[in-house]
Amino acid sequence: MVGMDAKQQLYTVQSADLASWSAPHILDSAGDPISADGENRPKLAFGPSGQVIISYTRPLEKPYTGWIRMLRSSDGGATFSPPFTVHKDTQEITHRFESIAFDASGALHTVWIDKRDMLAIGKSYVGAAIYQNVSLDGGLTFGPDSKVADHSCECCRIALAQGPDGKLRGLWRHVFGASTRDHAFANLSDAAPNGFKRATFDEWQIQACPHQGPGLALAGTSPHAGYHAVWFGIRKEKGVDVAAVRYARLAEDGQPVASTVRVLPDPQAEHADVVAIGDKVAIVWRSFQGHETSLKAWLSRDGGKTFEQRLLATAPSNNDHPRLIASDSRMVVVWRTEEKAEIHEITF
Amino acid sequence: MKSLSNALLWLCLLLVGASACAQSAIPKPTTTAGITEVVDFDETTWAQLLKSGPRPAAYLFTTSYCSTCPDAFATLNAAVTQKHQAIQLVAVMMDVTGKQALRHALHFQGLTQMFAFDGFEPAIRHSVDPAWPNITPYIVLIDQKGTVQRFIGPPTPKALRAWLG
Repeated sequence: MVGMDAKQQLYTVQSADLASWSAPHILDSAGDPISADGENRPKLAFGPSGQVIISYTRPLEKPYTGWIRMLRSSDGGATFSPPFTVHKDTQEITHRFESIAFDASGALHTVWIDKRDMLAIGKSYVGAAIYQNVSLDGGLTFGPDSKVADHSCECCRIALAQGPDGKLRGLWRHVFGASTRDHAFANLSDAAPNGFKRATFDEWQIQACPHQGPGLALAGTSPHAGYHAVWFGIRKEKGVDVAAVRYARLAEDGQPVASTVRVLPDPQAEHADVVAIGDKVAIVWRSFQGHETSLKAWLSRDGGKTFEQRLLATAPSNNDHPRLIASDSRMVVVWRTEEKAEIHEITF
Repeated sequence: MKSLSNALLWLCLLLVGASACAQSAIPKPTTTAGITEVVDFDETTWAQLLKSGPRPAAYLFTTSYCSTCPDAFATLNAAVTQKHQAIQLVAVMMDVTGKQALRHALHFQGLTQMFAFDGFEPAIRHSVDPAWPNITPYIVLIDQKGTVQRFIGPPTPKALRAWLG
């Protein structure tokens, strides 16, 4: 687990059983300030040869700007390299809200929100852009910055998931036209930019920052099964604007299966995440009801056809967005409260 | 990707809270907007402002990473400037306090006061509007008579005219 302590220091802890944890290992981030606000946070990824990768956004002096920084371990997390900047572009602009993941071939992908095109074109450029680079040696060296898509939204997390072919897919909030903030889906191995598909059709037209990125998980093992997705948006239903977190199945190319779109059973749901193992699907979110925050789950045993709601925990005070992690057979949700980092195993 | 190492389990999460970001004392550097201090905004503040705050006034709730917020504030400032009236234009930072918040005053031309959330963000947001999802800019316009208009994103020209009379 990686996080920041009360002194704003980056640290890791380890557990082999989810019950007992090592003492915090404070990492040397070379004095970098570390962005941990909204949906931005330090992240971890594990390579095929024992690499442990930690990434974060280092905010720069100018507001809304940052660089994506990375620490690399080749000994399972015992020691880490000094932090380094991942992207080639070092202008004082937005390079923020990174996501990192290895694909099945062992290539490390770093994907982030980038404003170099807005700087070049000017204020007529809508939104920001999605860029990525790829490291084929587990974070030692990196390829060029390459554009995935023009006109992304500016401050939501990017969801990544391996497809059935082991290649990474990305799902992010996108600005379609002048101000329609729905979501786009792309195969990150596609060489040409802007080869994405539109994945949601809330038709939410707004010049604002939703601060809630989507979640994405591979649906089953069939090569044509597609994906599970969750996202926040405002959709007009019977003439009324309905703000909600929604779920849908996406086809293998990322287009939504319209008949599967449904609203999570909680109007206060925010920052939802999704994970799947076979036909078991878990969606978690947090929900504030005025006096306490609930950690809730929506669980399916049939690939998302039906769901059952469950209350996992409550917190009386400050808490973080819940995050799901899956192994071959287990799912856990990690939820940071003011007292501790809670680990809740999902059982069906 | 969501995966677990069989040998060594690590999890990834954000470990930050408003308390960790809080500062014990608010420095007072001068900004080009003339704002030198940031006032705490807790779960009781909004009710007080509605009851006895300045009128007319506009409140723009924002975050340090909301890049669409300065344009929305500029819309408010342009409307006020056209009317040649002294009207409170207030920014409320939801995620940073003190010096970090003041840095953002530079983005809000015409700003007359800056607040910063002091406490658990969803709880304070709930005290302002239980139906407000976590979207910014969230703007509240209060006219001379105390009539309240709420918006996600920039207000419409019609709403601005109604606000300023």
